[in-house]
Amino acid sequence: MTDSTKAPAGAPTADLPTMLGRIKATRLAILKELRKVIVGSDDPIDQVLIAMFAGGHVMIQGPSGTAKTILVASLARVMDLEFKRIQFTPDLMPSDISGTEILEEDQTTGHRFSKFVKGPVFSNIVMADEINRTPPKTQAALLEVMQEKQVTLGGKTYPLPRPHFVLATQISQEQEGTYPLPEAQQDRFMLSVAMDYLPEDDEVVVVRQSTGSVQATLRKVMGSEDLVAFMAAIRQVELPAVLGHYIVDLVSASRPTVEGAPAFVKEYVAWGAGTRASQNIALAAKSAAAQDGRSTATAADVRKAIVPVLRHRIGLAFRAELDRVSVEDVVARLVKAVPEPKAN
Amino acid sequence: MTTNPATGDMAVEAISRIHDGKERILHEVRKAIIGQDKIVDDVLVAFFAGGHCLITGVPGLAKTLLISSLGRAMDLKFRRIQFTPDLMPADITGSEVLEEDQATRKRDLKFRPGPIFTNILLADEINRTPPKTQSALLEAMQERQVTVSGNTYTLDQPFFVLATQNPIEQEGTYPLPEIQQDRFMFSLIIDYLPKAQEFDVIVATTGAGAEEITKCMDGHELLAYQQIVREMPVAEPIIRYAVALASRSRPTDSRAPDFVKNYVSWGASIRGSHYLVLGAKARAVLAGRPHVSVQDVQSVAYPVLRHRIVTNFRAESEGITSEQIVKRLMETVTPPKSGL
Repeated sequence: MTDSTKAPAGAPTADLPTMLGRIKATRLAILKELRKVIVGSDDPIDQVLIAMFAGGHVMIQGPSGTAKTILVASLARVMDLEFKRIQFTPDLMPSDISGTEILEEDQTTGHRFSKFVKGPVFSNIVMADEINRTPPKTQAALLEVMQEKQVTLGGKTYPLPRPHFVLATQISQEQEGTYPLPEAQQDRFMLSVAMDYLPEDDEVVVVRQSTGSVQATLRKVMGSEDLVAFMAAIRQVELPAVLGHYIVDLVSASRPTVEGAPAFVKEYVAWGAGTRASQNIALAAKSAAAQDGRSTATAADVRKAIVPVLRHRIGLAFRAELDRVSVEDVVARLVKAVPEPKAN
Repeated sequence: MTTNPATGDMAVEAISRIHDGKERILHEVRKAIIGQDKIVDDVLVAFFAGGHCLITGVPGLAKTLLISSLGRAMDLKFRRIQFTPDLMPADITGSEVLEEDQATRKRDLKFRPGPIFTNILLADEINRTPPKTQSALLEAMQERQVTVSGNTYTLDQPFFVLATQNPIEQEGTYPLPEIQQDRFMFSLIIDYLPKAQEFDVIVATTGAGAEEITKCMDGHELLAYQQIVREMPVAEPIIRYAVALASRSRPTDSRAPDFVKNYVSWGASIRGSHYLVLGAKARAVLAGRPHVSVQDVQSVAYPVLRHRIVTNFRAESEGITSEQIVKRLMETVTPPKSGL
């Protein structure tokens, strides 16, 4: 609680321990609701919640039909957030995302004026589906809006609603007609979540439910203003200095150009993770601690954050493809190579 | 109307009512359509399961006549959209237009609903239109609503899309991406009629005019029947069998057979398993049977899986189609013994 004296504007009036208790209880309530509609591993839900409670955007990877949309839409319902989905296509234009100005006439005076019609990005949760099917200019339009939290058109500025999250999916790069998202733009996503096919037993459970006649109803467990307060509280969680140093050591070891980088990094990695990766691991660890009701982050919290934060930030060299080495393999070896600080 | 075996009488009664209803529909449709029994059957299964269909085939095979006759027999509103390279999303969903009140001369924006506001929509040659317009249709299909200028409008119920594709070899087409095809319950292939039936068509259509189709069901009944289909119980081993068929088609699955690993780049998603079971339920109900069999799953396997399995380059060069993959999957995956 080192910097609790200068809490950000709009911060909760409640004290930190009370807020942390609420955060923990809310997370459990959300999980309980989501379990009605999502079957299988908790990891993706945990990771998405870590990012959302910290105010970060999320990249969701995985084949079609792995309940990505259901996860995001259900989260929106239980967290009482407005939800819009944008299907990215090769002919999508920036104005299809941000909105357009149309000409309108005043009924009484006959005077004409332009009116801004908000695009789908004006929503609390925007699901950007198959973002790499759209050309760079349109991708850039979304990422710019994400970054600036506002749309500027015709000299006027329209702020986005708060909170604002983008959860993006990508189709596999091997498929034809994809425009890979540049590294700098991937970096804007706090973490990336991998969703995979379910084990057969779980798929049987899902199919029995989905083809049946009873539909689960989701209860909302919090309001959007709660989430804004949670975000502020999470920033007050303490990260011990040893862990801060560990994060920086780990992330910089992923950069092949840095002196002393492990040999496998030099061999398999084309580009490593930037400073934003370190920041996001720290923030994700704080978020994980807060969701467990703790005011200090631990090594276990950091460990949880490493793979999802680094997954989309490390570019593999051609050699890695030859030797069938994945980003997850590289991250696993990094974790082994950089010793974690001993718990005191 | 419950899945509880103790009160199974009501379910049995409902199922036989659906079976009779289907027979009456078939009788009416037969007045207009000659042959194509399999397609008519599959479309009816999709109707009663509440799923959408994709039909691939050359023009002139009575697709429009088939679907509009079904619509008439079931008293459903029917619209057709011809997809063209210059069709815009608003041409499907509708748009806001400026209207002037005659009396007050007050001008106001009013939503004029597009052709998607109907019960049955024939989306003709969907692959002739660019992706953004395709996606507008598919999104509305999925969400059963459209959003125009920030306002949301709910589509009519029941809502059923039958999209046709001309075979991809024809020029100037925008093939539907895999994830978009996944939204269709069935992919059906319509072929030319055998010569004898084509002769019958000539006789029938150049004669004194066809018999009137009379309606024998309505939209409310169909919605209730869709609910009964969902209430139909399915034995655990049958669901396991359906899930196995879909999951073994994924090359990343540890239990996928070698021919899948060699020839498939994308397997069926969980929507594949879902529609195998839902389709099997609908098929059993339409046949008047109160239980779902392995046969029901197998008979919907081609229409459910053929567009969900994407073969790789090697398969193409060796002439192996997704159809053949489905066939080999059914030969490989052992069905449960008790299922008839």
